[in-house]
Amino acid sequence: MTTMLFPRYREQQPGAGMAGTCPPATHEFLAHTSEMQLLVHAATFPELFAEAGHALGLLSLRDIPDVPTGEWREIEVESADRVALLVDWLNELIFLAETERWVGIEFEVRETGARWIIARARGVSVEEPPAVVKAATMHQARISHRDGAIEAEVLFDV
Amino acid sequence: MSSTLTWHYPVTSVTPDLREIPASARQDMRVPARVYADDTLWEQIEGDRSLDQLVNVATLRGVTGCVYGMPDIHEGYGFPVGGVAAFRASDGVISPGGVGYDINCGVRLLRSRLELGALQPKLESVVHDLSRSIPSGSYRNPALTLTIDDLERVLTEGPAYLAERGMVLPQDLAHTEARGRLPGADAAKVSARAKQRGHDQLGTIGSGNHFVEVQVVDQVFDAGAAQGFGLQEGQITVLIHTGSRGLGHQVCTDYVRLMDQVMPHYGISLPDRQLACAPLQSPEGQSYFAAMCAAANFAFANRQAITHTVREVFHRALGRAADLALVYDVAHNMAKVEQHGGEQLCVHRKGATRAFGPSHPETPAAYRRVGQPVLIPGSMGTGSYVLAGTDEAMTRSFGSCCHGAGRAMSRSEAKRTRSGAEIRRELEARGIVVRCPSAGELAEEAPYAYKDVERVVDVVNRAGLARKVVRLRPLGVIKG
Repeated sequence: MTTMLFPRYREQQPGAGMAGTCPPATHEFLAHTSEMQLLVHAATFPELFAEAGHALGLLSLRDIPDVPTGEWREIEVESADRVALLVDWLNELIFLAETERWVGIEFEVRETGARWIIARARGVSVEEPPAVVKAATMHQARISHRDGAIEAEVLFDV
Repeated sequence: MSSTLTWHYPVTSVTPDLREIPASARQDMRVPARVYADDTLWEQIEGDRSLDQLVNVATLRGVTGCVYGMPDIHEGYGFPVGGVAAFRASDGVISPGGVGYDINCGVRLLRSRLELGALQPKLESVVHDLSRSIPSGSYRNPALTLTIDDLERVLTEGPAYLAERGMVLPQDLAHTEARGRLPGADAAKVSARAKQRGHDQLGTIGSGNHFVEVQVVDQVFDAGAAQGFGLQEGQITVLIHTGSRGLGHQVCTDYVRLMDQVMPHYGISLPDRQLACAPLQSPEGQSYFAAMCAAANFAFANRQAITHTVREVFHRALGRAADLALVYDVAHNMAKVEQHGGEQLCVHRKGATRAFGPSHPETPAAYRRVGQPVLIPGSMGTGSYVLAGTDEAMTRSFGSCCHGAGRAMSRSEAKRTRSGAEIRRELEARGIVVRCPSAGELAEEAPYAYKDVERVVDVVNRAGLARKVVRLRPLGVIKG
């Protein structure tokens, strides 16, 4: 079993994962005429999925403080392959944000393979998420290895 | 005809407003790609990946004729926004990504009997009341939360379900595309997750570029057609732009996922996985079509519920003189099975609207003399247009037209250019009352982030896809 804490909280959780040896996972949103294109870099797949989830949380919360509260919750997703898994993982978080008014912000990926992920997360409960993300799409979705790191792109319909 | 090389495709100018990428431009293309645009719009279109996306669509199984880009075309996901493609119903595919996540995102226009002078003193309070009465952003509508039985009736019946709640006037259904009830709908093909997302969203605008706008008819181009639509200079109108909300988003998510998994079974490989598709006649294709029709009915009902609220607000402020009649309601994200050239085709319009002419049997009886009303909203704060569909459009674009101005700038660049507060001040300086829950979203939807709607409309007018009837000037905007 692989346990990786989201890098942002690594200092608060010493001893977990691969802290200290790899650069922290990062994300940025690339220019797109109408939607939001997410680019994520991470050292491992668990970090990649955690960072992608965190980026989506920040996008959804806009200016609301992204301090997670409350209990951890379990999230499991299965899919056809790793790229589809990343898209399905993000769509699961979009579903939870819209139906439960809960925006995941801190992720601990407990297990992941090419077609499944088991994670737990803490988030922010909001009366109404400030930003509506309709879906994560398969458009140009990719996961690739580059310069010793993993790079992924996903386009959100917003 | 002159030939030039643009992007990395050879492009032929068919007319000054129509360019063609031949089917030989890429080995996997099955049909040519045609784009309606003048030189200025073409330059903008070349600035993003619209053409790549349109060419990708031209590779899909069963595609016929040409694939078309409307003058408001811009980069989307899978299909470009502003794209039209028709597939043989017999052996062609249906693609959820070709419809988009916001199934039956669309526009409806209401006309009042008021003139500007009667509304102006109460404009601020009317816009304020609209913003308080119509949930926007991610807000739900507790006043219209549906049980599962009620929701399934909405998915099957569309706005007709709302009639028994007193939310539909007699002419409303006749002036809604397909009477707001697509017969292929099957609520059982809509997942429980989609129903969970949508059960409390009926009567809500949503976010992004959705809006309710109070307007005045400020220019008449075709007096006869305007009369046919019941429109005249100085008249107050209301334009509503929204779709199927989270329910439609989830239907698309569910079926992109399903089709992505079954494509190998049908021997389909694609240049972009978001184009995921299955033969229309396959079990998966039929299931998606039934679910899409149900989500479309939900969207028609959503715009009807908002219409009811708008009517209540106008009555509260202005009395019965403010009666609002529905001019028309059109979809612009939809796949429809239609007859073209004696063949049954599944026409995908993503960010494009129908523009049927006077002789088409689906044009409402009241508009047979003129053609179907084609509603083209501009960007926030700019004019919107009402056009009339033409019979010529049937052979030039599968009876399709543009759906708006079309984005020209990313949201982040729009926010960097000017702040939401600045945009608000500029609009208010022009006498436009604005209500928007987020300054950031206001900046994202700034007028300069869009193409010039007047130029877009002039192209479709010259190309004969639809003809200009009136222009509408915004007075008050409630942003989603």
